Amino acid sequence: MSDSNSTVRWTLNGTEVENEAGMTIMEAAKVHGVDIPQFCYHPGLSIAGNCRICMVESNRSPKPVISCSERIAEGLEIKTQSEVAVDARNSVMEFQLINHPLDCPVCDKAGECVLQDHSYEHGPDRSRFVEDKNIRHTKELGPTIDIWGNRCIVCTRCVRFCDEISGTGELCVVERGDRSVVDVFPGVPIDNSLAGNTVDICPVGALISSDFKYEARVWNMDKTSSVCGGCSRGCNVEVETLDGFVKRLTPRENLDVNDWWMCDHGRYGWRHLYADSRLEGAQHDGQAVSPTGTSGALHQLLSSSSSTAFLVDPFMTCEELHLVRSIANSLGGSTIAGWLPAAGTEENFPGGFKISADKHPNRKGAEHVLGGDLFTTSADQLKSALSNGSIDTLVAFVGGDGFEGAGGEWNDLISKAGKRIVFATQQGSWCEGADLVIPATAPLEKEGVWVNEDDRAQRTRSCRSLTSNHFPSELVVLQELQVHMEQRNRPLSAAGIFRELSEASDAFSGHSHSSLGDSGSPLSQRPAAMSSEGGQS
Amino acid sequence: MANHEETPEEKPETATTVPREKAAFGMPLIKGLANTLSHILRNEPNTIHYPAEKRTPFPGYRGEHRLKRDELGREKCVACFLCSTACPAHCIEIVAEEAPWGDREKRPRLFNIDMMRCIYCGMCEEACPCDAIELTPVYNIPSRSRGEKIYNKEKLLSL
Ligand code: SF4
Ligand code: SF4
Ligand code: SF4
Ligand code: SF4
Ligand code: FES
Repeated sequence: MSDSNSTVRWTLNGTEVENEAGMTIMEAAKVHGVDIPQFCYHPGLSIAGNCRICMVESNRSPKPVISCSERIAEGLEIKTQSEVAVDARNSVMEFQLINHPLDCPVCDKAGECVLQDHSYEHGPDRSRFVEDKNIRHTKELGPTIDIWGNRCIVCTRCVRFCDEISGTGELCVVERGDRSVVDVFPGVPIDNSLAGNTVDICPVGALISSDFKYEARVWNMDKTSSVCGGCSRGCNVEVETLDGFVKRLTPRENLDVNDWWMCDHGRYGWRHLYADSRLEGAQHDGQAVSPTGTSGALHQLLSSSSSTAFLVDPFMTCEELHLVRSIANSLGGSTIAGWLPAAGTEENFPGGFKISADKHPNRKGAEHVLGGDLFTTSADQLKSALSNGSIDTLVAFVGGDGFEGAGGEWNDLISKAGKRIVFATQQGSWCEGADLVIPATAPLEKEGVWVNEDDRAQRTRSCRSLTSNHFPSELVVLQELQVHMEQRNRPLSAAGIFRELSEASDAFSGHSHSSLGDSGSPLSQRPAAMSSEGGQS
Repeated sequence: MANHEETPEEKPETATTVPREKAAFGMPLIKGLANTLSHILRNEPNTIHYPAEKRTPFPGYRGEHRLKRDELGREKCVACFLCSTACPAHCIEIVAEEAPWGDREKRPRLFNIDMMRCIYCGMCEEACPCDAIELTPVYNIPSRSRGEKIYNKEKLLSL
């Protein structure tokens, strides 16, 4: 047992199995396809062992043991389905439910509630409890978090999160016994940049995000696996929409990027999609242009231009940037430069989570596609060319949440170009007087690849918000322009454009949408079977 | 199971039932015709003069919906969406809002039933944990426009 051999032989439900030494019974069993229920255990947090739902029968103990903290050992025999284990789970479930209000019909967690699932699978079908249930507090814990104390099963996941991951320690358990409940100290609300995660990890509906409260039942929403565009970390997220309206963002597990978490800036940063100033249709000299006529109008303006410059933004996907590059090349002698939004502050948390200071998702990708001096030397050149009036036509992309345009200096410079074509998410001074204004997709509405600050390429998918259904995306408009310019026969999907990009660019070579999959991959790590996978689009 | 030897014997057994059915074919036909004939000869109407004369629906008849009120006159519905989840025709649209009363959390801000899509199956009534929705026996619900067939919360509560 104590030798240096790193595997351990043990018995799981009568079958002899082998696992790495040091694993807990729960982790090791999962490897062999045996799921043991859990409330307090969370892979990202320390082990608390307080809920007892994970009890299993062991040959080393007269009583059942908790599998989330007990480690496997040579000769250990574990039964997860024996009478002792089933009875232990059953009793824990009954115990958890004696004070639980069972208000699932009005509980926002219903449908994704661990207590519901375990009660259905492991619980007794009736309660023997005839006394009155305890009443615990329902109140605000912070600006974004409310607690329904009655539903709390005191698993302390949220408390451990604030201690270990955000390091802010606002939450604590107050009272004792069956009156225990999570609370904050008077005058110290839970108000940190990661607070929203406590709602996700709460196994029941005790912690509720006031932003999502009563908004939708979780089973009615559509989910899109996407990437947050809030900063250059590129946290993997799930965008949940109801009838084309985003209702909430939740983090998607990716141990190479964001673990199980995301920050509140990204989590609540989707309202710009539905802002009143959002552009929904193209305009040519103040006249509305139909969605199908946009690329024609664009072609007309570009073909009569003597010198054209492109100003791109770091919210554009690598595919869009690649299209801009090939259009600029065929126009001949066009400059391409990029603008960057104002930097924020970097935040690092004890749990290893980082919020980047770069408040845009694809600077790295843009530099790979269009050259490393895109935001520096090229930008300066374009600035001076614009201010001395030597640019005839400027195609400016003003994406992102779009409220600030491209930032004060660029906004002024954009209006100095002779003719202006502006792709913008929001209306503003940058659209005023432009010859052609084309609505642009915002982060969460884009299909394509972003490269985060660690040079990791990740696919962002469109949540198909109602707004972006009103107009063709830049990816389509730019390709239609290429069709007008006789560079292309027909528009392709984002995957098809990415294939062209990976053939044209060393940085992306070998990668494809399918090889990047849901969790992305570092650009330096080329997939093995590149030729066969590159074939699908 | 493996040496179950009776199986081949079952075939002739079922074959013998066919002639028996054939033999029984004539009598019910004659009975049926006699029944029809007796009604023709009796000359009594079996239909009713519908708009003038109305039939009382059978107990449990599933007609137009209504939303119930509690003893204080507030809607009983707590906007749990269980009826719309259970509805096979997807014809119930609900938008929830915070209830202004202390004894519950939610109430519907919007509650629309598309009566043209409804198949009057009663699943909504069965799913409701608050006994807030029911199908009344009212069956004569014509209207002059499609819009009128979308019943909103006020209409459902007034029925
Ligand atoms: S926490 Fe879970 S079990 Fe409790 S009311 Fe909410 S959905 Fe139901
Ligand atoms: S509020 Fe939720 S996460 Fe926190 S202790 Fe209670 S049940 Fe666990
Ligand atoms: S009766 Fe059936 S079809 Fe009609 S609203 Fe209810 S559940 Fe839906
Ligand atoms: S099931 Fe009942 S309480 Fe729930 S939304 Fe429908 S009518 Fe309202
Ligand atoms: S999951 Fe093991 S004690 Fe809670």
